[in-house]
Amino acid sequence: MSTLTLSPASVDSRLSEPKTRFALPSRPSRHMLSNCLRAMPLPSRSEHLIVDQPFLFRCAKLFNSVISKAIPDLKTNDFQHLRRVVQFKFLPPHLQKTFRSSKGGVVLTEDPSEEDVAEQDDTVRYFLVSPSKAIQHAALVDAFRQNPPWCESKASPRIFYVTVPTFSPTSSEQAAQWSVEYWPITYKNTNPYGPHPSLVARNVAEIEKDAGKWLALAEKAAEQVYSQNLGERVGCVIVDNSKGRPEIVAVAADSRWRNPTGEPETKNDGPGNVMAHAVERAIAMVGKKRLRAVGKDPDTLDRKLFCDSPLTDMERRYYELDNLPSNGYLCVELDIYVTHEPCVMCSMAILHSRFKRCIFGRRMPYTGGLTADNAEGKMEEKPKLGDGLGHGIFWRPSELNWKLLAWEFTNEEDKENGKISDHTPNTLQA
Amino acid sequence: MNPDKKAYHERFMREAIAMAELALRSDETPVGCVFVKDDEIIGRGMNETNRTLNGTRHAEFVALAGILSKLPISILKETDLYVTVEPCVMCASMLRQYGIRAVYFGCWNERFGGTGGVLNIHSDISVDKPYPVHGGIFREEAIMLLRKFYVQENEKAPEPKQKRTRELKTEISPMDIHAPKK
Ligand SMILES: [Zn+2]
Ligand SMILES: [Zn+2]
Repeated sequence: MSTLTLSPASVDSRLSEPKTRFALPSRPSRHMLSNCLRAMPLPSRSEHLIVDQPFLFRCAKLFNSVISKAIPDLKTNDFQHLRRVVQFKFLPPHLQKTFRSSKGGVVLTEDPSEEDVAEQDDTVRYFLVSPSKAIQHAALVDAFRQNPPWCESKASPRIFYVTVPTFSPTSSEQAAQWSVEYWPITYKNTNPYGPHPSLVARNVAEIEKDAGKWLALAEKAAEQVYSQNLGERVGCVIVDNSKGRPEIVAVAADSRWRNPTGEPETKNDGPGNVMAHAVERAIAMVGKKRLRAVGKDPDTLDRKLFCDSPLTDMERRYYELDNLPSNGYLCVELDIYVTHEPCVMCSMAILHSRFKRCIFGRRMPYTGGLTADNAEGKMEEKPKLGDGLGHGIFWRPSELNWKLLAWEFTNEEDKENGKISDHTPNTLQA
Repeated sequence: MNPDKKAYHERFMREAIAMAELALRSDETPVGCVFVKDDEIIGRGMNETNRTLNGTRHAEFVALAGILSKLPISILKETDLYVTVEPCVMCASMLRQYGIRAVYFGCWNERFGGTGGVLNIHSDISVDKPYPVHGGIFREEAIMLLRKFYVQENEKAPEPKQKRTRELKTEISPMDIHAPKK
């Protein structure tokens, strides 16, 4: 085995957040049981620093005092689900491999026998330090070097970067799986530090009753414009569910093949009018309704290409309803239902508009912007085309300035009966 | 970039800055852009999120809505965008779907930039052709405009927001650009 000192970049494997699934509470009605809202996995790539301690320095107390001095405002509650001190044999296999093949800093005999390695492995403890953002690599090395055993040794502490689940697991099975795939995890049934699963469950409870209905309406809206050769078969419905009873705020279909004079454009291999995707149109209608609510003329800045006036009777009916308060802001508190997973542009438009929740029908692995994983539930740093783009635009709170909850809705009953009649090509930008 | 090329790009970025200045005078987040085909400006746009109460009415959308009402989409393949602030994730995706030839921008958008600031929508895997981007042309001017906007907003606020003002002095990176004010 060679001795090498690893630079952080070479061990920075950035595995990404594992997929999270949130089971639905079972319901008495058969229909409800057969429908499934699947929460989108989060893309959070939270990265933690790991330091190994092969010598005498196994005292967790000393370790903690070094860390709390080096990172005074470290919030350990944020990663309570991650084991702090781990023996080699309890590391996930891929980490055992990485850590073993990088004995940098540890003084090893020239050509260690298998037993030597095994013994070494047995005595080493791996300490989880902090999220990598909390401290600079060099500062951490300095902090350790001022304390035993490092202050008496020529060797440097070995620091690794490991990607770990940001949130607590939602079940013991998940904890076990993550422990093999990422880092040893603890599962506490009453974990107060994992707001996410309960938040998701609460929201599912609020929307599951009507989700199928709104998506069916979005499909109908899409069909009406599609049948006039004005767009692709993508539609969306914006719902205000904040006042106890749900209210439809806007309905819009894709109209990318409607030319500036209002006529159907001959479909070609071009993108059509990208600004007339269903989501963009619906968001624009909300803006215009808000302008109307504050007594301004919604048509002053009207531009034909935005297609933000209703095209069908159904779109008009909801557009003309005065059901938005004048003091509202963008699409805060509103939910958006889309027949297909929105493209990257529309996903970001949803985020810019500060929606509360997004529920979509068909997943679009070639073009969708919300999903963070691929069809098999894996998340790759560099995905292949068709495996899901991995952007996860609904929830990247450390990078983007808003986050929302998102679900893929599948009607299992329809699937079984072969009722899926969506012939939209995979590569369509919804 | 050689001096001739530099002067060429700066000429169009000046025009984009003029649009951003217009946005500032109109109480909009100062982001402006021009689209250039065959050395000529074919369209101009500025951020209009406040006036439209629509958080997606970015300069790029506004300019393209004008251009494409007269010209076919296919011309965008020979068209370059000059924009004072890096396109956001939404606009970056729109531009790629339309097949833009290249994007030149002033300052980076660390909140939701789509061409390097946060994500790399211009070059990441996609069904659409990638496009090249060049950032940093009159970066300081672009940032100064954004700062002026936040100062202007603060002065208008009924109670001076001390904390925000302090932030302005030390922080040169663009802040919550593009987003309409409450
Ligand atoms: Zn779209
Ligand atoms: Zn934008």
